[in-house]
Amino acid sequence: MTGPAATRAGVFARSRGGTDPREAAEWSRRQVAGNNLRALRGRAYPRIRGMTREPSWVFFEILLPFLTTSAFVLVYRALQAPEAYIGFVVLGGALSAFWLNVVWMMAGQLYWEKSQGNLELYFAAPMNLMAVLLGMAVGGLVMSSTRALAVLVISSLVFGVQFNVEQWGLVLLVFLLTMSALYGLGMALASLFLLWGREAFNMTNILIEPVYFLSGLNFPVGRLGALGAMAIATIPFAVGLDAMRQLVFAGQPYITGTPSPEVEALILVAMTVVFTLGARWMIRSIERMARARGSLSIRWQ
Amino acid sequence: MTALTAGDPTGFDPARAEGGGPSDTVRSLRTALLLGWRVESNWTDPTLFVIYTVAKPIASLLLLVVMIDIIGGAASADARTFVVLGSALWAMLVAGIAGPAWSVLEDRERYRMLKYLYVSPSTFLVLLVGRGGARLAAGAMGTAIALVFAVIVLGLRVDLGAVRWPMLAVSLAMGIVPILAIGILLAAICLQTRQESWSYPDAFAGAMFLVSGVVFPLAVLPDPVELLGLVNPVTWWVAAVRMAIIPDGPSSIGGPGSLWTAVTGSAAPDATTALCALFVTGALVTLAATAIFRSSERRARDQGLLDRTTGS
Repeated sequence: MTGPAATRAGVFARSRGGTDPREAAEWSRRQVAGNNLRALRGRAYPRIRGMTREPSWVFFEILLPFLTTSAFVLVYRALQAPEAYIGFVVLGGALSAFWLNVVWMMAGQLYWEKSQGNLELYFAAPMNLMAVLLGMAVGGLVMSSTRALAVLVISSLVFGVQFNVEQWGLVLLVFLLTMSALYGLGMALASLFLLWGREAFNMTNILIEPVYFLSGLNFPVGRLGALGAMAIATIPFAVGLDAMRQLVFAGQPYITGTPSPEVEALILVAMTVVFTLGARWMIRSIERMARARGSLSIRWQ
Repeated sequence: MTALTAGDPTGFDPARAEGGGPSDTVRSLRTALLLGWRVESNWTDPTLFVIYTVAKPIASLLLLVVMIDIIGGAASADARTFVVLGSALWAMLVAGIAGPAWSVLEDRERYRMLKYLYVSPSTFLVLLVGRGGARLAAGAMGTAIALVFAVIVLGLRVDLGAVRWPMLAVSLAMGIVPILAIGILLAAICLQTRQESWSYPDAFAGAMFLVSGVVFPLAVLPDPVELLGLVNPVTWWVAAVRMAIIPDGPSSIGGPGSLWTAVTGSAAPDATTALCALFVTGALVTLAATAIFRSSERRARDQGLLDRTTGS
């Protein structure tokens, strides 16, 4: 063999351990898993690395959200509310970082990728698209954890929030389940937003304040009655926030009318399963549609 | 050189490249407004557009109203009125300040038209003001509907006979300039930053919540922060509109323990003072925002940021 054929065979030989292209296309499970893990890492990388390359985010993503949280704290102070409510606001302000990340950088992401012309490259690349979505989620989680932690620590110190945690293990478990349910929802929404096209941007906007209200961002969601119960059953942010509040402010009489943290943890498990499987089914459908129509993944189509 | 004269047989008229002064500016502004409105609204049917436009302000309103209702107390009726008016106005402000910034991001990152718009005969600043103005109009619609919702559903009581209509019209109109100026300031920042800047206007507006007396009186703030609120035109805009709608309502600026009362000795500023302060602070912010935008624009041109696309 000489020329391009020899070069191609050399590439196959080096990368897949054989010289036959058909043989090289037959990947073992290990090769597939390794490839998907690389895709996951590759998609998470720009989000994590990008944090050090764009310093303005420290001001806009940490300082300004802290001021927003402070504004709601001062509303309660002006109303002479019990001190416990200050803690509710601070926790809500910290966890809202994750919801904003899910809405802006998960749900809308495939649509932005399409607008930038990257989506067709994703569909053409030999990888599972779930790895891309998971990579986005991992990168986003790291980004928003920084903001959430900063808001939580600064606000707690400035406003003297008193936490009362009795079950650290359950707090950690509920937090992880909340994140998996939230980002599972984000992965599912990513496919839906892609289908909705230009409505995606407006959906992003509509998913912020209305969800804050329904989830009880600044007050116990049980106060909303039937509306709150509906939110607990459907919105992972609502159920996660309520469970966290019950756990980190144990014994507060103001959190009433919602299931116990254990039950809410089970709800979060169910949400994680449903949203992740839903995301998997949807991304596969989108992939099929993209190939069949030939236009779904292309800019301006 | 003779080739560049008006009498050139090739038909080139150098006067056209120099622009037609104010009439060109007005035409550019009108076109940008129309373009902005179409970008905002032409992707869906009007009903859906209205739902998208009003869902955000109404939800923000409800979030605050529930907070007040939970705490209750004798002052809750007054507090409710105070908060409802401030929160409804906030929808217009958020839309106005996000407009120019999102225009930069949309045109640069999504439509990739910013470089073409920049080299078009229209002034870039005028273009952004127009695009921001269209979003401000959509926000004003949200504010109006949120107020109607507050009257019908939340029981906000407004005595239409007592409303100072001329002051309302003047303060609303005077507020548009500083709001768009703050939007231009954010556009200047977004020219320098990356795609993640989509959420910056919301974050900025959220922080301004703290120093504008929108949902609580400035008196609860420490003196230096209160002073910052007093030089903020948005504080005076919200206060002036509140004064016009509920003339005998509580003031966000004066009152016991406030810096205003400590310095001036009066319980609260009167209507004329509020309008004058709105004019002065608005003018200062507008001049500062324009200077910062010009500087950002120069840097963007030098660094090739006008056609940069980013991602994460």
